[in-house]
Amino acid sequence: MADTLSADVVVVGSGICGSLAARKLAREGASVLMLEAGPRIRRDDIVRAFRTSPRKGDLIAPYPYSSLAPHPDYHPEDNGYLLQQGPYPYKPEYLRVVGGTTWHWAAQAWRYLPNDFRIRSLYGVGRDWPISYDDLEPYYHEAEVLMGVSGPVNNGSPRAKPFPMEPVAPSYLEQRLMTRLAPEFEVITNTTARNSRAYDGRPACCGNNNCMPICPIDAQYHGGLAADAAEAAGVTLIPQAVAYKLEHDESGRITAVNYYDWDKVSHRVTAETFILAANAIEIPRLLFLSASDRFPDGLANSSGTLGRNLMDHPSSSITFNVDEDVWPGRGPQSPASIQKLRDGDFRSEHAPFRIDFSNSSRVTSITEDLIKAGYFGAALERELRARTAREISVKNVLEQLPDPDNRVMLADEKDALGLPKPLFSYSFDDYVHRGMAASRTAFERIAELMGGTDIRHSPEGKYSNNQHITGTLSMGADPADSVTDAVGRAHDHENLYMASTGVMPTVATCNSTLTGVALALRSADAILGRV
Amino acid sequence: MKPLLSLAALLLAAAPALAQESAQVARGRYLATAADCGACHTAPGGQPFAGGLPIGTPLGEIVSTNITPSQAHGIGGYSLEQFSRALREGVRADGANLYPAMPYPSYAAMTDEDVAALYAYLQEAVDPVEDSPPPTELPFPFSVRASMTGWNLLFLDDDRFTPDPGHDAAWNRGAYIARALAHCSTCHTPRNALMAEDGTRALAGASLGTWYAPNITSDPVAGIGGWSAEALKRYLATGHSGEGAQAAGPMLEAIDKSLGKLTPGDMDALVTWLRDVPPVSEGAAPGRVAQAAPASADLALMAGTAPEGAQLYADHCATCHQPTGAGGNGLPPLLHNAALLHPTADNAAMAMLDGVWPEHGQSMPAFAGVMDDAEIATLTNWLFAGFGDAGVQLDAARVAELRAGGAPSPLIGLARTGVAVAGAVILLVLLGLAFWLLRRGRRRA
Repeated sequence: MADTLSADVVVVGSGICGSLAARKLAREGASVLMLEAGPRIRRDDIVRAFRTSPRKGDLIAPYPYSSLAPHPDYHPEDNGYLLQQGPYPYKPEYLRVVGGTTWHWAAQAWRYLPNDFRIRSLYGVGRDWPISYDDLEPYYHEAEVLMGVSGPVNNGSPRAKPFPMEPVAPSYLEQRLMTRLAPEFEVITNTTARNSRAYDGRPACCGNNNCMPICPIDAQYHGGLAADAAEAAGVTLIPQAVAYKLEHDESGRITAVNYYDWDKVSHRVTAETFILAANAIEIPRLLFLSASDRFPDGLANSSGTLGRNLMDHPSSSITFNVDEDVWPGRGPQSPASIQKLRDGDFRSEHAPFRIDFSNSSRVTSITEDLIKAGYFGAALERELRARTAREISVKNVLEQLPDPDNRVMLADEKDALGLPKPLFSYSFDDYVHRGMAASRTAFERIAELMGGTDIRHSPEGKYSNNQHITGTLSMGADPADSVTDAVGRAHDHENLYMASTGVMPTVATCNSTLTGVALALRSADAILGRV
Repeated sequence: MKPLLSLAALLLAAAPALAQESAQVARGRYLATAADCGACHTAPGGQPFAGGLPIGTPLGEIVSTNITPSQAHGIGGYSLEQFSRALREGVRADGANLYPAMPYPSYAAMTDEDVAALYAYLQEAVDPVEDSPPPTELPFPFSVRASMTGWNLLFLDDDRFTPDPGHDAAWNRGAYIARALAHCSTCHTPRNALMAEDGTRALAGASLGTWYAPNITSDPVAGIGGWSAEALKRYLATGHSGEGAQAAGPMLEAIDKSLGKLTPGDMDALVTWLRDVPPVSEGAAPGRVAQAAPASADLALMAGTAPEGAQLYADHCATCHQPTGAGGNGLPPLLHNAALLHPTADNAAMAMLDGVWPEHGQSMPAFAGVMDDAEIATLTNWLFAGFGDAGVQLDAARVAELRAGGAPSPLIGLARTGVAVAGAVILLVLLGLAFWLLRRGRRRA
């Protein structure tokens, strides 16, 4: 034990949720110390790594990796950080760097629908949240102003105040989709944390189509900016600090967090209040690692639900060639969605979903496909030009219900610091499969309306995921079946809060970041005695 | 008749909202924009014309005042004569001198008719704001406002504008806009040792300490003689010439707030006059201009053997401006960009440090927090060598000066404040002179 640091508040994790909660507390005068397992990174270093990467399609490749704060990586092969118990592998991607995983996203910043908070009451499935949409609405707005969110108002989520800016101008592909799918499907511009005008010292999007792996001009908000804002507000940030154990006193109050620096020297930090702001995998891991005689199953786990109810958004997709040139690859990568299947009485029968159009450049993947198919020379160039103008991909973002058997645990195998790796048990139920079937019907209709040819469905029963890791720290009114209360505080520890998408009890049909940030800002208000 | 036509066009454009506004008030509204009153007399996010913008000078901050028609806090109690004296002679209603941060030496050329229109607009169409910004508190001796009288005696030319019969109405209208309203020379004309504009080198280009206001005479090499009238109009209206020049820094602010809002007729007039400014050949870059962009350095970049400038360009610039510097999708090309053909690299470095932030359209992010002085210098020099004039370079020490707000030059701040600093420096000279005279007098006695 080298030293002991101290602060009013310690935040573990410098991602977008932790950083914005830390910033808010620091601005109210609290001394805040933020620990980050990973290193500091710079935008230009990531741009450089991407430009020189031979694997442009691997969106994790440009980010630095360290075995001391490992993140999962599946290319060119699985690096074995996340271990699988099955039956279905759960293979999320995330980053462990200052600013966290939103360095690398398409900035979709959706609010939940009001009904998403009450699916047990309304549809007899899943669980209700301990709070309502109205409880979260002001915090959604607070998050939207901080992150510079724009979007259309007809997105299903009512709002008390306008977006801080107009939606980003629709790309040509988006305009064609809007026109040709109407009136059967209303296509709307996505709600995104992407500037449509200069905002907060950052320029408007100029359509580099580079959102993932890195926006080269910060037109898109990300956690690195949130961490900068936290430091500007007075937060002390310690990178390369891997938290591995929390301590508590007789009453269960958390007294300290211990971390290893990258020389594996241990440090101890005491504080009045602790906020765990890593993701929904690394937080349960830390709480399991902190098991004590008093809490043998891990901290914050008297309910036995810690790490359970793991959810993400399983996705299937359809790829086809439109009967006209639509030029995907110009403008933001994720421009537009279809909302109408996000909610309805059908939710008692099958999973709801949002249909999401990709506008990513298809050049890399089509080139690979064509070369595999034996094209070369002039024929390769001709076919590449033809297909890149017309091939589009559409996916769903589908709600998976909380299932206690979907869970993250500790493996026997350890990482380079000697800390057990995460281990998953995971599967999909028929609610998901039935939703996928409904989605396939919608996909086929969309392909038909767009004059689609060479229609390719993603493999049946095999779903990709969206790194919207939720549920493992579920908030609930009843301490017997939830980890955290309605403000994200551990039922078992009065001074331990979670600022993470892990507290979300259901995953709904939209990207989890904005809701995670809104909840984190609300938790900060609770710490300040305002909720 | 051009001015009248211009006015008619303005009225037509603004007709629905201003249906009840008198022609005189409408004219005053337009003049307030053309003379850019609001730029200084409105604080960011503040009420229009309520003042409160701190204007930094090396001598301290000069805070712009409330010029709304409030009786207690603004100019509501001013008669037309008092307003005219403040505007054109720099003397307040209470007799105190204004600091020449207020560009009254330029406004002195304004016609009586325009002064009356401006007065009518400010009194009748601006909402009174019942609040005063904090007073300007310069350190002694600059706190003695009366001392400005001496400066005015030396440098205030209070001749009203008189048309030159040797030129047509458009030319004369352009001259009036440039001199009495837009005060182009404040930035673009070099100054002599006493900080007065050097009339023999009018508009030949000058450094503002950070940004460089280039030669805008009709010299085809050093100035804008090679620009088409259309390119000049596009530039002054939008900040983009469409031919490889774009505004940034204080010029962009002037375009966004003022020049871009001139009527087409006034813009034509301004450009007519501007293209006729006598050529001054000083301030030309050496002319070692690259003919083509550097060859793509992809392999060297991937191998890590590219020059540092090329590496920085790839990391920070190439995504938008393209590896070849060709620009595209509305983003400016860098090959032969006007900013890379100036005799100084200051503007290119300033654009990188501060970014470029037009009110409308695409901005360029700031890199002050991303690159250090040496990196900015290396990248700037690489850009000049590859895309612009290879004879122009700068070093990290200069970037450090730019980052700090300019070299310790008294001209800093002129970009938006008019002649504040010059006034202060002259003030020092005059006070020294007075002190010397006083001592001499005592010795004699």
